[in-house]
Amino acid sequence: MDEQIHRLSCYVENKPGVLARIVGLITGRGYNIQTLNVGPTEDGTVSRMRIDVLGTDRVVEQIILQLRNQVNVIEVTSRRM
Amino acid sequence: MNGDKKRTGARALVESLEKADVDMLFGYPGGQALDIFNCLTDAKFPFVLGRHEQGCVHMADGYARSTGKPGVCLVTSGPGATNTITGLATANIDGIPLVVITGQVPLALIGTDAFQEADTTGIARGVSKHCFLVQSADEIPETVAEAFYIATHGKPGPVVIDIPKNCQQGLTDAQYPERVSLRAYHPESAATTAQLHRMAKMVNEAKRPVIYAGGGVIASGAAKDVAALARRAGIPVATTLMGLGSFDERDPLSLRMAGMHGTPAANWAMNEADLIVALGVRFSDRVTGKISKYAPKAKIIHVDCDPAAIGKNVSAALGIVADVKDVLTTVLSRVKQAAHPEWIAKIDGWKSSHPVSWTQMHENVIMPQAVMESIDRATKGRAVVVTDVGQHQMWAAQHFRYSLPRHFLTSGGMGTMGFGIPAAIGAAFARPDHKTVAVCGDGGAQMTFEEVVVAVEHKLPVTFVIINNGCLGMVRQWQELFYGKNYSGSILTVKGRCGNERLEQDLDYDYLPDFVKLAQAHGAEAYRVIDPAKLDATIARAVKSKRTTLVEVIVEPRANVYPMIPAGRPVSEMVFK
Ligand SMILES: Cc1ncc(C[n+]2csc(CCOP(=O)(O)OP(=O)(O)O)c2C)c(N)n1
Ligand SMILES: [Mg+2]
Repeated sequence: MDEQIHRLSCYVENKPGVLARIVGLITGRGYNIQTLNVGPTEDGTVSRMRIDVLGTDRVVEQIILQLRNQVNVIEVTSRRM
Repeated sequence: MNGDKKRTGARALVESLEKADVDMLFGYPGGQALDIFNCLTDAKFPFVLGRHEQGCVHMADGYARSTGKPGVCLVTSGPGATNTITGLATANIDGIPLVVITGQVPLALIGTDAFQEADTTGIARGVSKHCFLVQSADEIPETVAEAFYIATHGKPGPVVIDIPKNCQQGLTDAQYPERVSLRAYHPESAATTAQLHRMAKMVNEAKRPVIYAGGGVIASGAAKDVAALARRAGIPVATTLMGLGSFDERDPLSLRMAGMHGTPAANWAMNEADLIVALGVRFSDRVTGKISKYAPKAKIIHVDCDPAAIGKNVSAALGIVADVKDVLTTVLSRVKQAAHPEWIAKIDGWKSSHPVSWTQMHENVIMPQAVMESIDRATKGRAVVVTDVGQHQMWAAQHFRYSLPRHFLTSGGMGTMGFGIPAAIGAAFARPDHKTVAVCGDGGAQMTFEEVVVAVEHKLPVTFVIINNGCLGMVRQWQELFYGKNYSGSILTVKGRCGNERLEQDLDYDYLPDFVKLAQAHGAEAYRVIDPAKLDATIARAVKSKRTTLVEVIVEPRANVYPMIPAGRPVSEMVFK
């Protein structure tokens, strides 16, 4: 299966450790994050993360499911770039 | 604010644990946890002092596996916290609910390389379900409530609460919340009517169905519901290692365990099935073998509470993210009574041509499999069996007949040597109504033997059986089969050691340590048995004793675990000897 860049948009609670957990979940599987952007949303208790990661559809889908399982993750969407 | 209600964070923690219904705390003290320890002496729950933090976590884990309630553990910062990592990983992969509280250096010192400072939440993150680093005493009650909620909802798992010393000492009037509501974590999910309808239809139309039950069945308390479905629709049941006890192995519909060391009947049935009803499993590579050849003729219904488990390793025709028990109770009435006589006859043929069996390699030597049968007889099939990891673990899985959930406790996903002794102690604390027997290898027993004193000092009538084959048997087996019999690093007796270890070969006693003396030094009653004729009597005597007992059984060192499907190979490559 072909590897492709997927852009993940994650809305997460703005709490310590959340960024590390999310990044760790991706890098811990040996996948390289190409771009990472974190910023506030209008609701100051929620941050938005934009993560570009190279992987097959199957792997990225698995990553998304695991991200959604995280206690501080509110929502994850993705699109292929 | 009501000034009278103020107490230290440490006191608030202990109160919160009481509110969370903790009835036993395992742990080990140290500088950054002393404020908490200071409050334990008048806590409502007893404290159990382990002898190594890994042991403490495995005890809490054994407690959790045998009851379904979260196990709780308290340790200090730095080395105390890092010693919990193996225990956390073990619980995490098997989905066992734990709350592990670690002391931490004061917030102001974090990041300064203070004495016994370690980035506990950073280290624990990858091996836990969630971690909290507490920022103030006020957060403690709510954090405890959230930790218990997270540990027990969705797929259970271990949660770490790291509490800096200044937060333990700070004053707070924060109260334990009545209920927990987490903004982002809502793991409850139920099957839709359409899914239940489709599931029933697939079951009703199947000609060669198999139920494949895992640890999730036990976690959701659905063993009776699995039996109800199996009987109603005439479906044979295979289990995973973690699912042993989720279906009575004495039932004619039982195929027993599937996978690398599973029964031929279970593996062949999955291979021939046209429908696999997978309940609370994650299709581990130890079961599927070569994934592209797994269950080639079957449609798969996969029910699990973890959305990430579905479609992870095999793709399911129908995936249902929901509690297994909820699904089974609602689907049952839609399932038709059925029998599948041809299919059952075929399976019965496999069962009788390839029964669970073993061969005596020599006279006058105890075969390890015989030890399992002997323990099963002596405990009338009702013991809580806790294993370590290796060949003995697989023999324990194969040669007991499990009939009840939470009666086979093993480190399935992590395969953690050293789990057996402390987990058995945790289980013995939790289930005084049942006899607990630990089955350990001579290798793994040496990893956490220090915990035996905990059983002795609490007068736990647990029996530790050491299957002494003088080697790291499972490693030795792989080297025999796949590495040209080059027994590098796997032999524990001096005489069998490889030359590169440069040992003098002139010891009188080849088997070290002497487990009987070791157990006696720890205060336990101990026996050694070498003669097959004395096996049953020795085991019976040990399991009947009211004291903590250990039996060292010297067994045939060259025995291998069969049948075996080599890692990553298809069912067709199963070997029998
Ligand atoms: C902590 C840990 N280290 C290494 C291993 C790899 N390993 C798996 S089984 C095994 C041998 C276990 O030997 P023993 O405890 O004597 O049990 P036996 O296989 O002989 O029954 C080893 C080393 C492991 N599972 N866990
Ligand atoms: Mg051994």
